[in-house]
Amino acid sequence: MTVVLSTSEPRMIPPTQTSVTPVADTSKAKGVAEKPRDKLVVRGLNFYYGETRALKDVTLSLREKKVTAFIGPSGCGKSTLLRVLNRMYDLYPNQRAEGEVRLDGEDLLARDLDLNLLRARVGMVFQKPTPFPMSIYDNIAFGIRLYEKLPKAELDARVEAALKRAALWTEVKDKLAASGLGLSGGQQQRLCIARSVAISPEVILFDEPCSALDPISTAKIEELIDELAEDYTIAIVTHSMQQAARVSQYTAFMYLGEMIEFDDTNKVFTAPRDKRTQDYVTGRFG
Amino acid sequence: MVDHIVRSYDKELEALERRIAEMGGIAEKMVIEAMDALASGDAALAHQVVNTDPRLDALQREIEEAAVLTIARRQPMAIDLREIIGAIRVAGDLERVGDLAKNISKRSIKIGAEARVPRAIVGLKHMNEVATELMKDVLDAYAQRDVERAHAVWERDAELDALEDSVFRDLLTHMMEDPRNISYCAHLLFCSKNIERIGDHATNIAETVFYLVTGETLPSERPKGRNDYDVDDDASARP
Repeated sequence: MTVVLSTSEPRMIPPTQTSVTPVADTSKAKGVAEKPRDKLVVRGLNFYYGETRALKDVTLSLREKKVTAFIGPSGCGKSTLLRVLNRMYDLYPNQRAEGEVRLDGEDLLARDLDLNLLRARVGMVFQKPTPFPMSIYDNIAFGIRLYEKLPKAELDARVEAALKRAALWTEVKDKLAASGLGLSGGQQQRLCIARSVAISPEVILFDEPCSALDPISTAKIEELIDELAEDYTIAIVTHSMQQAARVSQYTAFMYLGEMIEFDDTNKVFTAPRDKRTQDYVTGRFG
Repeated sequence: MVDHIVRSYDKELEALERRIAEMGGIAEKMVIEAMDALASGDAALAHQVVNTDPRLDALQREIEEAAVLTIARRQPMAIDLREIIGAIRVAGDLERVGDLAKNISKRSIKIGAEARVPRAIVGLKHMNEVATELMKDVLDAYAQRDVERAHAVWERDAELDALEDSVFRDLLTHMMEDPRNISYCAHLLFCSKNIERIGDHATNIAETVFYLVTGETLPSERPKGRNDYDVDDDASARP
């Protein structure tokens, strides 16, 4: 039997990563018995906004090419956690993270880490669509140009591929020169996803990507997340438990900065272990 | 359990539970009265049992409709989801129990006051007592979300299976003794099968209670009251 390693990159794999078992290409069915490899590992993470401790000893891992959802009431730290994963907090003074965050074994909290490279590897899509005030084409090409110098034809191909990947190509292919701001909310959000995808990240973080969208646009984004999970490791923060239940394979429930429960999504939504999780997912939180 | 933030959600769940309790009461009464009518040859009582069944059917339909609506409107999760799925399953089992009691009563109407071999009915009465106890216990277990009690019912059903075997042998003996007993005893054979199936439904409800409370399922194999080489038609008896 041929054995296919689940890593596609020739990256160094740290000794701590015991789960780098050779995985035969299993079916894509959700909840397969084979445990996927840990792509991004968080251990004993504490985060401070000045004096305030917003994350308390958080430990979890994002499994490779799976969708992990973070749920919890407002202020529980789920967005904070997401912001740590690509060092978004570095933009602000007085915010600091302690603990361990490793992407394929590489320390993401290291001071000398190249943040631009990190953000190319760990992309982010925000709650409100944030297209740049430029053409649809340039919205995608802008990011690519930051990292690579490509001939025009190749750049065109990359833009097209990214827009196709984000299921937006057919809607915009005749108006690539038009402003990205002229698109509908749902289209703008997919444009932002295309922008992330264009620079071939390994992990994509979604921070409530659908909370400003109508149900149809939401469904399109969810379908897209399903598809993207074939190639990328995904984390999503969402206020909609139904959305978490629909799109993710793993769910983390956070409360007051703590990771209360982290398990298979199927388990969390049918028979959670912790009473606080149960109260939250059933709408009983006081 | 803490109330839901949306209080009407709690009301819907309570309404479901109330209907299940009502169904349980009716089904239990039907099982007891069906045997009383059979043992005493009371046709009027037997008719009453038959006439009660439509109420049970109607309740089951109401429960299913209410459960579907709640699923559609609230997207229940975790314990709530299990409660609702549990209600649908228990309602289905109770409706079947009612059908089985009704069937016993229809047979007792047919038999009339024939009672050819009074002692043949003793074993059946004993079976029915056990079945009634199982029903009562499992309904209490459901009402109180009592896993221990549900598990006890689940294990005790083997007793009923064993009793059915002995009733079967008894009735066979009576039929061999006097061929004129055959028609009567054949009816009783079906009645004993019905009672045994009532036990199976009690077992199903016990499994549902276990799932509802723990989120886990009981093993598919449960203790058997019969020998392995005996005919095992459980597969057809348990939906």
